[in-house]
Amino acid sequence: MRICRRNALTAQLLVVAALLTLGGCAERDSRRVINLWHQMRPEDRAVLAERIDVFERDHPGVSVRALYKETEELRSGLVSAVLADKGPEVIYGPSDVVGVYQAMGALADMSAWFTPVEEEAFDPRAVVRLPDRADPAREDLVFLGDRFGNHLALVYNRRLIPRPPATTAELVEMAKANTVDEDGDGQSDRYGLVWNYTEPFFVIPFLTGYGAWIFEDEAAAHGEGRREPQPTLDTPEAIAAYRFVAALRNEHQVLPRSADYETATALFRAGKAAMIIDGDWSWQNYLTTPGLDAAVALLPTVSETGLPMAPMVAPKGYSLTSFATGEQADEAMELILFLTGAETQHAFLARQRILPSRLALRDDPLVKDDPVMALSAAQAERGRAMPTTVAMRAVWDAMRPPYQLMMAGQLDAAEASARMQHDALARIETITGRTTPDGSAFVVYALAASALAVLLAFLRRHFRVFWSDWRRNRLAYALVLPSMVLIFLTVLYPLAYNVVLSFSNMSLTNLRDWEIIGLHNYTSIATGGESQVFWQILVKTLFWTAINVFFHVTIGVLLAVTLNGPVAGKSLYRVMLIIPWAVPAYITALTWRGMFDEQFGAVNQMIRGLSWVNRFLPEMLQLEPINWLGQATPAFAACIIANVWLGFPFMMVIALGGLQGIPAELYEAARIDRASRWQQFRMITLPMLKPVLVPAVTLGAVWTFNNLNVVWLVSNGGEPADQTHILVSYVYKAVFNLYQYGYGAALSMVLFFMLLTFSLVFLGRTRATEAVN
Amino acid sequence: MSEPKLLTAARHVVLLAFVAIALWPVLDVVSISLRPGDQLRTAEWRLIPRDWTLDSYRELFTSQPFLRWLGNSLLVAAGVTATGVALASIGGYAFSRFRFVGRQAMMLSILTTQMFPATMLLLPLYIMIAKLGLVNTFLGLGIFYVSTALPFCIWQMKGFYDTIPHSLEEAARIDGCTPWQSFRRVILPLAVPGLVITALFSFMTAWSEYIVAAQILQDRDLFTLPLGLKSFQSSMSTQWGLYAAASILVSVPVVVVFVLLSRYLVSGMTLGSVKE
Repeated sequence: MRICRRNALTAQLLVVAALLTLGGCAERDSRRVINLWHQMRPEDRAVLAERIDVFERDHPGVSVRALYKETEELRSGLVSAVLADKGPEVIYGPSDVVGVYQAMGALADMSAWFTPVEEEAFDPRAVVRLPDRADPAREDLVFLGDRFGNHLALVYNRRLIPRPPATTAELVEMAKANTVDEDGDGQSDRYGLVWNYTEPFFVIPFLTGYGAWIFEDEAAAHGEGRREPQPTLDTPEAIAAYRFVAALRNEHQVLPRSADYETATALFRAGKAAMIIDGDWSWQNYLTTPGLDAAVALLPTVSETGLPMAPMVAPKGYSLTSFATGEQADEAMELILFLTGAETQHAFLARQRILPSRLALRDDPLVKDDPVMALSAAQAERGRAMPTTVAMRAVWDAMRPPYQLMMAGQLDAAEASARMQHDALARIETITGRTTPDGSAFVVYALAASALAVLLAFLRRHFRVFWSDWRRNRLAYALVLPSMVLIFLTVLYPLAYNVVLSFSNMSLTNLRDWEIIGLHNYTSIATGGESQVFWQILVKTLFWTAINVFFHVTIGVLLAVTLNGPVAGKSLYRVMLIIPWAVPAYITALTWRGMFDEQFGAVNQMIRGLSWVNRFLPEMLQLEPINWLGQATPAFAACIIANVWLGFPFMMVIALGGLQGIPAELYEAARIDRASRWQQFRMITLPMLKPVLVPAVTLGAVWTFNNLNVVWLVSNGGEPADQTHILVSYVYKAVFNLYQYGYGAALSMVLFFMLLTFSLVFLGRTRATEAVN
Repeated sequence: MSEPKLLTAARHVVLLAFVAIALWPVLDVVSISLRPGDQLRTAEWRLIPRDWTLDSYRELFTSQPFLRWLGNSLLVAAGVTATGVALASIGGYAFSRFRFVGRQAMMLSILTTQMFPATMLLLPLYIMIAKLGLVNTFLGLGIFYVSTALPFCIWQMKGFYDTIPHSLEEAARIDGCTPWQSFRRVILPLAVPGLVITALFSFMTAWSEYIVAAQILQDRDLFTLPLGLKSFQSSMSTQWGLYAAASILVSVPVVVVFVLLSRYLVSGMTLGSVKE
């Protein structure tokens, strides 16, 4: 045999070197960079890019790097940035989150660059000041809006409704007249009214119309001696509003039984809903849909109260972050002033019909003479500004589940609002509270010290054994070492960080100055108020993991064995069958969500198509279209189905590879012994597949257990009403939404130990670390 | 080898049924990509919508840096695949064949790295990468991907080597091969199906990962495909047409890689090689 050692090693070194050089590919630019993280909608990004080009032409030494970040990403990215002290200099987004950003210490005060004269040009609701973190008596200018909007209005189909309703009584009447069952199957084919009723944002106009608001007046709060206004989610006015909304669905039956944003849009665009409540970002889309004659109208006045339904309005705008210092801050500020300037706002108005925050531009012919813009301005004028307090997020999170339950007909208005108020208060307390160290902090330090001591003792004792083995088995260590180093380099620090964090009180208000508080996070997992939910979800997660892995493996092995025989077109089949793995899961998961839609979903359409089978089926097994995503159990089933679909190709490929390792002679021998095909499968195929399948199953179970994405996308973050969570998605939502990083770290440690125990038991049983032969 | 006609027919039935299930949702994505005006759902489903258009595909190549993202993704995925396969093929071999101190502990400990929910590790991961100055580099991303893919790849390769009889190396050694040579010349060629799976898995890890990439790459020109894809999505105004069209195109290289690799996904071994 040829000597080949050198060749092979050089080849591998080259590969590693190639990977290392990838690092050098980042572009270098001599200009100073300003990073801007923004949340512009796709259509607006082109205008932004043009304006940035203009700015860069005027400032040759500056390069602006604009990056779109989705709401959640911007938030979590900013948290990481604060911790690493490295982040964007400017951020752009809606005003409702600036309270949170200020609390985490991500924002800088812009007032030094912004004169009162300049301020007069702006709509006062577009300029946000918040108390300084260090000195609450001082106010920081933290947000400068360039536009006004996000307000809802009524869009109606002119073919069905000639004149928009002026009052809610008219609205109900028109909606009733337009809810029709064309084919007489007992299900409406057209609805009077629709909106996205998974998000409480869309119910706000009803609340204001009935005289309710989500927070008490600032004056009232100060009168009672409170610094922050309290939520007011269960007032009689709010309950009346919810009663009206629930009656639309249950009593008048003018709404579809379930609707998220995409369904609502699709219904209206197809002419299957006469009216829709939707925001200013969507109107242009409806007005230009071919075959649809849509118009926008002001939201009606509530007949009982005589008050107009008022949407929430929020400015969007720019904030300077604390990462910008010195000269860079000056340049960043110049950019902000340029992008909120009259010229830029005019460009957005002319190109994208965006309501400017500069008052002078409101008199522009583009606003005055355009009916939709004029209406938009009028509706925004009626709107109430979205609060910027930290508590806003807690209120949305508290409103969502009871509201969804109410819209599913499972909770009445009074109960729903009581639950909202209760949850909101609890959440606000969690966000703003801070746990102080207790006696167990000492225990933690003691534990850490003893762990270190044990480790050192262990190393000392085993070092000699290890050393002699090292000299004997040099090749083995050389082969393993590169992988081990790489794996542990990347994992060790995050892991250690997480362990430390799990004993700490890190949260929104002390991202940087957290301290070790002891075992509090762990004890509250075991015995705290949320602990019961935790154990329930744990059971569900185990169920989820077991079912998924079972089907992944069974289907995978079945297909692999089927493919491994003499079949014509084998390679074509093989390629088709890995498609679910090949197409990115974030779109197919959404497709599955669409397929489970009650109205248009392919699954229900198939059930309807098969309804002739019902004649032959007993009463119990009748096929009925199912409201998949609106009910807890079917929604969870939908997640499982989607995940089984996503996962079987992987196991199939593993099993296919494994089957190649089985010598054909074994089967020949078995045939000579007259073993049946089933016996061959049991006695030869399965045992020979085991070494390949065991790691795949172990890790498959771990990945499934930790699979956040599918549940998140298919059930839209745990809908309905947070009933479809598995542990990771629950932890993610419960913890990260409330910024409980210490608690979250402790929870993930608990998950980690559960998985570790499972793997050790499973691997021990299957003796996977030992060779079979 | 021949088998009863009925069995062959059964094979086709099973395969066709699953092909249908596998393709069904994907056809929906195709349909979305052909729809005008960004409609995720329609009241009237057709594979080829009545007013179908290829605008989304056209826009991807003309007004979006799709090709650039594709190039970035291919670069990262190729680097990760090559490194992953190289390291897993040797590491797995050592775990399968050598009995050294700390072997079991190492095998288990690399498994445990998979047990942390990735979303929980994001924060410290970013801090680490920022401190190392690897933000906005493919190196930072590549290292993370390799170390995510390696535990599975090593175990997979170890399992694969386990099915190859030890007697082959003994024979090679009698013929005068060093341990490394018997691995390189005798065992590795037999483990090709395992290498194929390892390669495919490493490739997919790098190809479809999104969450970590979003933290590390903060420059649109450095985006990998999943990041580019996600930039079409925004709350309540997603560009569904572009999103779907890009998803379809993103899966093409995966299919190509699979077709190329699956030629080697055939039996590399017979007992004949150890009979003498």
